[in-house]
Amino acid sequence: MREKLLIGRLIDTGSQVHRLDPRAKLTAMLLYAAAVVAARSWPALLSLAAFSIAVMALTRIPLGTYLKAAKPLRILMLFILIVQCLAVKGGSVLLAAGSWHLDSAGLEAGMHAVLRMALLVCFTALLTFTTSPGRLNQGLEGMLRPFARCGISPERLSLMTGIALRFIPAILDEAQTIMKAQASRGADLKELPWKEKARMLTALLVPVTVSAFRRAEDLTASMESRGYRLGAPRTQYRPLSWSLKDTCFVAVFVLICLEVVWVGFY
Amino acid sequence: MGIQLEHVSYTYDARSPLRQTALRDVELDLAEGALTGIAGSSGSGKSTLLQLLNGILLPTEGSVKVLDVRLNAGEKLPKLAPLRKRVGLVFQFPEQQLFARTLEEDLVFGPLNFGASPEEAAASARKALEAMGLEESLLGRHPLQLSGGQRRKAAIASVLAMEPDILVLDEPGATLDQVSRTELIRLLHRLCKEEGKTVIIVTHRLDELLPYADRWIIMHDGRPVFQGAARGLVDTAAKLPDYGLSVPLSIRCWHELETAYGLQAEEPCLSPAALAERAMQLMEADARKELNLCVKSC
Amino acid sequence: MNRVKTRPPNGRSAVGNQVNFTAAGGKEHVAARMAEQTDMVLLDNVSFAYDGQHEDIKNVCLAIGRGEWVTLAGANGCGKSTLIRLMNGLLRARCGCISIGGVRLESGTVGVIRQKVGMVFQNPDNQFIGATVEEDMAFGLEGMCLGAEEIGSRITRYAMRLGISGLLHRHPQELSGGQKQRAALAAILAMEPELIILDEASSMLDEKARGEMLELLREMHREERYTLLSITHDAEEIAASQRVLVMDRGRLTADLAPRELFRNGDLLRLCRMELPFRLQLAQELEKRGIPPVPEGDPAGTAAYPVTEVMRKWAFNWSM
Repeated sequence: MREKLLIGRLIDTGSQVHRLDPRAKLTAMLLYAAAVVAARSWPALLSLAAFSIAVMALTRIPLGTYLKAAKPLRILMLFILIVQCLAVKGGSVLLAAGSWHLDSAGLEAGMHAVLRMALLVCFTALLTFTTSPGRLNQGLEGMLRPFARCGISPERLSLMTGIALRFIPAILDEAQTIMKAQASRGADLKELPWKEKARMLTALLVPVTVSAFRRAEDLTASMESRGYRLGAPRTQYRPLSWSLKDTCFVAVFVLICLEVVWVGFY
Repeated sequence: MGIQLEHVSYTYDARSPLRQTALRDVELDLAEGALTGIAGSSGSGKSTLLQLLNGILLPTEGSVKVLDVRLNAGEKLPKLAPLRKRVGLVFQFPEQQLFARTLEEDLVFGPLNFGASPEEAAASARKALEAMGLEESLLGRHPLQLSGGQRRKAAIASVLAMEPDILVLDEPGATLDQVSRTELIRLLHRLCKEEGKTVIIVTHRLDELLPYADRWIIMHDGRPVFQGAARGLVDTAAKLPDYGLSVPLSIRCWHELETAYGLQAEEPCLSPAALAERAMQLMEADARKELNLCVKSC
Repeated sequence: MNRVKTRPPNGRSAVGNQVNFTAAGGKEHVAARMAEQTDMVLLDNVSFAYDGQHEDIKNVCLAIGRGEWVTLAGANGCGKSTLIRLMNGLLRARCGCISIGGVRLESGTVGVIRQKVGMVFQNPDNQFIGATVEEDMAFGLEGMCLGAEEIGSRITRYAMRLGISGLLHRHPQELSGGQKQRAALAAILAMEPELIILDEASSMLDEKARGEMLELLREMHREERYTLLSITHDAEEIAASQRVLVMDRGRLTADLAPRELFRNGDLLRLCRMELPFRLQLAQELEKRGIPPVPEGDPAGTAAYPVTEVMRKWAFNWSM
């Protein structure tokens, strides 16, 4: 399971992008998502793709790795392509079989959708490849700080996401071991019919939940015995620091957003 | 027959930048009907090796031959169910292996999957329970309501109920107390000797298993660096620290005995009782010799 | 029984990654000891029940002096873990009085006491809070409201002492069990506690890592800066400590020297322990008419060289 999931892991090459403030990267991510949604034509999408490849090259992580991160979603992308091809009509007819025909507009819409999705996934991967979960979480806390007055506790939230980020891989590993144990005793998920599959997956729930609780208990003991109390004053070892580079990084993303919108209008 | 590994390598995450090779070019031959100990420090590839034995993991290179099934890297697989019925794999933590609502359901899970009728399954469940020395009154309990030692035994029983020919265990004694650990090893030894099962045990405590194991495999850095009987292990013991293992006291003791009495290639005695017995024999023989010398010189 | 203490400093075995503990003792620490002669741990008639009725801990009285190294043994479920969790307020005693380092444990002093007590737990995975070793070490220090500089210097210092400097940026899943426990210990030591409690901290480790952990404990003990209390089933670890407490069904049933425990078959059975190999061998030899070498007579009469070696072995723990 974890073997296939590349997204969500840190690949530390020590590049400039790795060293940026996580808040800058998160803001850039939001802007990027907006740009992807706004890009509705080939020039806009292609310029966005070129820009993305440039940023990816900056991270010094091989481009192939990003493609691999998007690979688990290939079925979904294919599905989107087909749906768009079938649903969108217009332009010239490319293929016809009886009453059914594939139109150029449909194909174009499908390819746009797939490209948009691929860009978004690759860019999310970029965020996680270049930022440790801890930093990301710290960035999130920093960005939520202004909302503290409306009753959201950023500290509590970031503690929660931090623990989740820390333990989800471990819990996935554990689920995998249990599945291996089931397979060893003749219930291989790969070989079972769908109905049985569902039954085996529900059988996972009890041991996984029990162990999650046990982990939680151990973790609480460990945190408490190191003097942790929610809401007690704390210092930060690596406080976030916003530098000129971060401003520039965000500014470039603002520009690309504007560019996409501008290309869209003309 | 038995188990042969030929040029087997296994790599996790083979096609990503996070690839990790766990086994490199492993050549292994595991005898049938024997109790084999596999030792090595953590990260030496022991656990990966075990999972290759019943097709849970498939070799990325080379071929694994278990009984009459051959698993070649990159080839289309045969149906794995018959293999898995005959090779029972017990994982390290019983909590990850017991997933049914009651112990009984857990015990019949394997047999039912391999096509036994409910009656047959219940019968083999009871037999397995008895073989592991657990009481029938526990059948109705939730597996997590058992004590640590019982849970271990239940996990082994759940695999034993499938009546496998080969029983493979990953650190069966970890986190148990000493008395339970010894008890467990004796049980497994009996299964091997009395019921003719092939037992393969991964451990990092050589000393405990030494008096019982017929053969040993020492893993280091993804390769077997030693395979053979206890005798050979005694000869190569000096290298154990290089593999992240400490030299068991029994072997050190035997070395002392060997050098003092000039023993050569003798089958080593590695339990305290056997060691003491052999030392006494040697001593008495020595005394007799001295006495004879005395008599002669007089 | 002060074998460990009296060993010459150069007799230290050369296990990898070892750093000098003794250097950090410091004068102020000695001064503090002089000023405060009270016991480190003081339990007076402590009882506790998880469900409020059936007592899991029954009237335990216990005193542990500063700088002592005590092991706590007993069968699973006898209340060992419960007892130590009472000591830093993870659980609250139903009655009785607990004081740690001269401070009485009350709701107002829990914070102070948790700074005095560092705890290392059994499962190396589940006590890891941060996503990297460094973050994990920083966690406790941030809670103590130390400045970033001080946190940084403590992390460097203690990571170096425990030989994990190269692992600071690793994720726990990339570490071996032994490395994780070292990291856990480093995170605790960085908070500079006086009492260190280990709850079967080495039981999930492989043999080599367990040996290294024991060597670390020996060094920490030699430094005389920490009081050590360790729950363990490991005969070697018990033998290395100064004093063993045996628990049975919530009570302290014995408080004795490790040597005494190994001579007491009933107590050993109670703890579900077996004699260490050396002693088993000595026993077997004794059965066959070879008595063990009497204490304090290392020379013996060398009639039969090998058995002599074996007899000495049986009681020589430092090997």
